[in-house]
Amino acid sequence: MAEVTSRDWFGKSSAGLLLGFLLALGTSGLFKLAAGVGDTFFSTKGQFAMWLIAPVWASVLSFCFLFASTRAAWGWLGLASGMVWGLLLALGGVA
Amino acid sequence: MKVRTDIIKMYKDVHGWVGILSGLALFIAFYAGAITMFEEPLQRWASPPVRLAPAPSLDKAPELIAKVLAAHPEASKGYDVNLVVDANRPARVSWAVGGRGEEHGPRKTFYASLDGRGDLQATERGPSPIAQFIDVLHQQVGLPLDHEIAMPIMGAIALLYCIAIVSGTVVLLPSLVSDLFALRVGKNVKRMWLDVHNVLGLFSLPFHLIMALTAVVFAFHDQFYDAQGLAFGGGAREERRAVPPRSGRPLDPAALIARVREQAPGFSPISVSFTRSPGGALSARVAGTDPRYGLRGPTAGFAGVDPYTGIIKATDYMPGSQDRWSATITSFFALHFGNFGGAPIRWAYFLLGLAGAMLFYTGNLLWVESRRKKERKAGLVEQTRATRILGALTVGVPLGCVAGISATLAAAKLLGESATSGMHSAIYYAVFLAFIGWALIRGAARAGLDLLIAAAATTASIPIATVIMAGKHPFTVPMVDITAALIASGLLLTWRVMHNRARGGPRDSVWSIAAANASGRCNPAS
Repeated sequence: MAEVTSRDWFGKSSAGLLLGFLLALGTSGLFKLAAGVGDTFFSTKGQFAMWLIAPVWASVLSFCFLFASTRAAWGWLGLASGMVWGLLLALGGVA
Repeated sequence: MKVRTDIIKMYKDVHGWVGILSGLALFIAFYAGAITMFEEPLQRWASPPVRLAPAPSLDKAPELIAKVLAAHPEASKGYDVNLVVDANRPARVSWAVGGRGEEHGPRKTFYASLDGRGDLQATERGPSPIAQFIDVLHQQVGLPLDHEIAMPIMGAIALLYCIAIVSGTVVLLPSLVSDLFALRVGKNVKRMWLDVHNVLGLFSLPFHLIMALTAVVFAFHDQFYDAQGLAFGGGAREERRAVPPRSGRPLDPAALIARVREQAPGFSPISVSFTRSPGGALSARVAGTDPRYGLRGPTAGFAGVDPYTGIIKATDYMPGSQDRWSATITSFFALHFGNFGGAPIRWAYFLLGLAGAMLFYTGNLLWVESRRKKERKAGLVEQTRATRILGALTVGVPLGCVAGISATLAAAKLLGESATSGMHSAIYYAVFLAFIGWALIRGAARAGLDLLIAAAATTASIPIATVIMAGKHPFTVPMVDITAALIASGLLLTWRVMHNRARGGPRDSVWSIAAANASGRCNPAS
């Protein structure tokens, strides 16, 4: 296995920041779909969907340094986001 | 536990960089945050006695409300009736005008009572603004900026903090068992600081995870809601349904509270807020506590009540009556605010907050010391400019924050009625900046000693101010003065230890006085 270093921190952490947010937002969308939440602001289920974003985003951002390279980080996180958002689109969860 | 060495090395680098970027801001957030655990007692301690006539009883509140509304029609939009009248809520009835998004200028709160002849008294003089000032300092990690600008910066620091927690834990994993209960106090001071840092970090890991994740939400919730609204629709901010005004007479506050107590015996009401919508519909919200449950707000939960029947209608934010989703959301807030379980939990959070501040301080120390080592390996005899400046900031920012808060707290007593939020802010930042300036001019080692004494003196001035002003402002909440005296003694003790170390420690350390004397200032050119 390739060694990981901190030298490519910028590429990996920007993937974690941007794609991590996309992934977190998509996850909250899947939750809203599964839980049947219409609005976000007033219902408590909707608030829970908003809260979900923080742990997912922060986890991706914290662990994205483990990817072998910048390309791997963007590739895998892009794939994961694509799957989540593809599923959301297929299920009709996107406005 | 076995972790690949390249991963450890990588996360060690990451931990160092995110730590140094966020550590000083987090110190301020945690020190100020620890103090906000006692915002209500602190406000009682700092607020000069009220000049209003003694509050009329709750049964006489309708008379007071009628007179307030006659003299100040703008209060009909919303007013509070307080069940407990004390320094935190100094009048039976209060109301606010202006504020966010309104054209009437900054928010102003008025307090009303009835004098001996039953005439209305109203004053703008409320409780001391000091607790609010420290709370904002905490929320904005010490940045004197507009809330809208400070919050995303705080959010970015919270994200760095998340990365620091994960990377720090991973780095510690391989030596977890051998290092966990080890505190090697001895010749190797850096080893000792590392042990302290590890022990503090590991034992308060759950606390830090909670703080980091909730802080991300507190910073970015507007953006999160907006992004969700954009992506999934559903009208993130749809208007509430308009309720038509009702005929009939609303219940008197006393009767309303009696009805609420019948329905929720464990809930202790503190105040009732009445608001009238632009359409004319009246609504009532009761703020209260229940020590068996966490609270949605920092010091209270809320029940929506029908003002005409006293029936509890909305329990989303009401401790003990929430459904599972609401209770889960409330638990996130309560775990951040430490507002469950009463005083023992507040003290535990206070100590965890101070421990957190120490964690960031020791982290900064370690960073400066390892840079010094690296630089020495590279053949440098003196530290580089960057290391010197960081060393100076590591001393100046934490001590400046401690002393600034102490000075502005002591000033609350001295200023008395004339205290404003602006004055508290000016005093805090003057002291804070002076400490940083002194650290930069004198260098970490010498400034550290001077500033510790100065911080101890400012903190000791809190109980001194209490004694000086005792004539005008009778003793209340002695715990504030006792805690301040303890912190001042702690700072003095630290001064003694540092004093001895500065004379005996390694010469190329940032803490070495000998080196500081030899090289003069913090300026590498000298």
